[in-house]
Amino acid sequence: MPMNRYADMEDKLRILEDLNMMYIRQIALSLQDSDIQKKIDHEIRMRDGACKLLAACSQRDQALEASKSLLTCNIRIMAYMSELQRMKEAQVMQRVALRSSDAGPTDDRLPCKGKVAISDLRIPLMWKDTEYFKNKGELHRCAVFCLLQVGAEIHDTDMVIVDRTLTDICFDNTIVFEASPGFELRVELYSCCSEEDYSAGSTHRKLASKLSSSLGRSAGKKLRVAMDPGACSPISNGGGATLLLPLPSVGPKYHLLAHTTLSLSHVQDSFRTHDLSISGNEECSHWVPLYGNVCCRLAAQPHCMTQQMISGCLKVKQFGGDPQSWTNVYGVLKGTNLFCYHRQEDIEANVEPAFTISINKKTRIRASEKDLHSKAQSICISNHYGGEEVTHTLSADSREDTHRWMEAFWQQFYDMSQWKQCCDDLMKIELPSPRKPTLVTSKQGSLYHEMVIDTSDDISTVTDILARRMQELELRSQLGTSPPWMSLFEESPGCPRTHNRLPHSPLRCPRPGLLSSEASLTSDSYSPCSTSPCSRHSGWAEPLSSPSSHFRPRTLSLDAKLSTLRGRGYGGVLQCSCQPPSSSSLAPIPAQRIPQATLSCSSSTSSNSSSEGSHSPELSNGTSFSRPSSARRSLRNLRAKLDPRNWLQSQV
Amino acid sequence: MKGPLSYLQPGRNTKVSDQSETMSFIPGQPVTAVVQRIEIRKLRQGEHLILGFSIGGGIDQDPGQNPFSEDKSDKGIYVTRVTPEGPAEVAGLMMGDKVMQVNGWDMTMVTHDQARKRLTKKNEDVVRLLVTRKSLEQAVKHSMM
Repeated sequence: MPMNRYADMEDKLRILEDLNMMYIRQIALSLQDSDIQKKIDHEIRMRDGACKLLAACSQRDQALEASKSLLTCNIRIMAYMSELQRMKEAQVMQRVALRSSDAGPTDDRLPCKGKVAISDLRIPLMWKDTEYFKNKGELHRCAVFCLLQVGAEIHDTDMVIVDRTLTDICFDNTIVFEASPGFELRVELYSCCSEEDYSAGSTHRKLASKLSSSLGRSAGKKLRVAMDPGACSPISNGGGATLLLPLPSVGPKYHLLAHTTLSLSHVQDSFRTHDLSISGNEECSHWVPLYGNVCCRLAAQPHCMTQQMISGCLKVKQFGGDPQSWTNVYGVLKGTNLFCYHRQEDIEANVEPAFTISINKKTRIRASEKDLHSKAQSICISNHYGGEEVTHTLSADSREDTHRWMEAFWQQFYDMSQWKQCCDDLMKIELPSPRKPTLVTSKQGSLYHEMVIDTSDDISTVTDILARRMQELELRSQLGTSPPWMSLFEESPGCPRTHNRLPHSPLRCPRPGLLSSEASLTSDSYSPCSTSPCSRHSGWAEPLSSPSSHFRPRTLSLDAKLSTLRGRGYGGVLQCSCQPPSSSSLAPIPAQRIPQATLSCSSSTSSNSSSEGSHSPELSNGTSFSRPSSARRSLRNLRAKLDPRNWLQSQV
Repeated sequence: MKGPLSYLQPGRNTKVSDQSETMSFIPGQPVTAVVQRIEIRKLRQGEHLILGFSIGGGIDQDPGQNPFSEDKSDKGIYVTRVTPEGPAEVAGLMMGDKVMQVNGWDMTMVTHDQARKRLTKKNEDVVRLLVTRKSLEQAVKHSMM
């Protein structure tokens, strides 16, 4: 019976797994490298957890996440294993070398390491026309993520669900590695079909249901491929990993979709496009139509550019100057400069250095002959500034110091020759912030949904909270787009800063449910600043000079009122509720009468606009405007649509 | 501006690369523009799904009456109004934006009604737009200088 054989296989696989785990642990122990051993242990534990979670979870996205962690853990374990093997080999080679004692001390200079950051990964997609016509209501979706590997360091990006409404796959993560200049950054894209799983267990059910509702061509292809798992991708999950660490047979499986390798030559301070090698084809269930490129920003900060390589006391004079003109300085070699400060304390005090000697690829440094007056050799540094050659002479206190400085300069030159273009200028690396900013993209979109303002608070508390938030967000608003409500704090012409005093003037603009003072305050402070959308009804006004003033802060009480009113179907009316034309003067209106007042507002504005004739009134496409008479409206709409002089606008 | 994209060839699936050039519009010629991606979640109001903005333009409309376009022969779809606190405003859509793509469908060579229909599909509750505006071009130019 096939079921028994299946169960047997499962048992065997489980035993194999346990043996493999033991084997891995043994190797780790034998090498007595506690660092990697700890890492392997950690990954093994994560892997066990992911397996258990995968077996237990019921929801599709949980299963996808668990499967992703499992794959990542497997690949990490394999990477650590190969690292261990390499170390073991190196150990053995060293022992052999010592025994034969023919190798002298290796004088190989090693380049300094650096930070390599990859960010803003974007993979464009190329959907075929036929994809759009398969509009059976379900989108073909795939879950994708990227693995980035440098040596034994493996990082994964977040998982993104891809369907045909996306033009690109974007990964927002910034990932920073510590690497030497000869690094190889391997980028791998894994994908997994996110629909009904075509695993062996449920195929017969699917087959029955499909047969009863005639099998489409593409569905048939997919089933055929699912029945034959080997055909699609020979390297499904990191090749050898599946032998050592078999994956559970249930649950979603990720397959390698594309990969590429980046190295130092691809490092640049801006975005670049690289080619992807794609594995798999259209027939696979995990296929996503890639355009074939990946765009990303790969930046590197070698340590020689960011850290102080050497520092100490020096005596400097210009070459050829008289022997008495030695200046005592505290020199710091960092990046492409030798900063010479008057005193060591100046560095902490952020005082500008006395002078700076540049040390770059074009600098020439040599040790000069012993000066008559000094005890040790001095170092000559020559640069070309403009057309002139300027030479400085440095002298250290002792021979050892001079030797140290020369050594540091040689190392610096070597590092710069190894890191090449990364040493021309310091590249910026934005460190990933510990928590993801989810403020602006939340469903309702108002920052103040998260702020609870007690009705007994007065306005100074509100501005305090705002100021604190502003400081928090300042760190995140490096993109230059400040949060929309910051416009309130900017001086805008003709907009008095009203949010610091309580209003006593009547409301110029009816807002639903605004009897509490702070809610009315926020609207009042907003109204003078905005020539808001409704004013456009009376002809084509200039586009707003400060578009950010659209966004107005709200308090919880206002939100609550808005949502109840929306629920009552006045949503369409509310859109028009601000800034009625100046002809209608509205005094503060109690909450119950608001809907009618705004109704009159909307009808008056629409009558204004229709009298213009230059553009048609707004055609509502499914909004719940309550219009005076529907028959008149439809006739008017038809006339407006057909009139060639009109420039139609539709509300969506 | 994070990762501005450029965009070619209206009417077909677009290849997206990272070079940015000035926006030009000659019918029949590939278009390059600096675009921003905006994702709008539709808001349910009773039985309707609304986005909270209004569009104008289209190849069947008179482009000379478009107050937002730079080139008065541009028959593209422009955002003429954004409902305050609506889903579109929240997502970052601004008045005057030109809509280049909606969910992958091109919007530079469509009639007004086709454009409206593409935005109001009942089975889609999220629309992903590619929009362009003058300030984006300028920001990219400044950052490149």
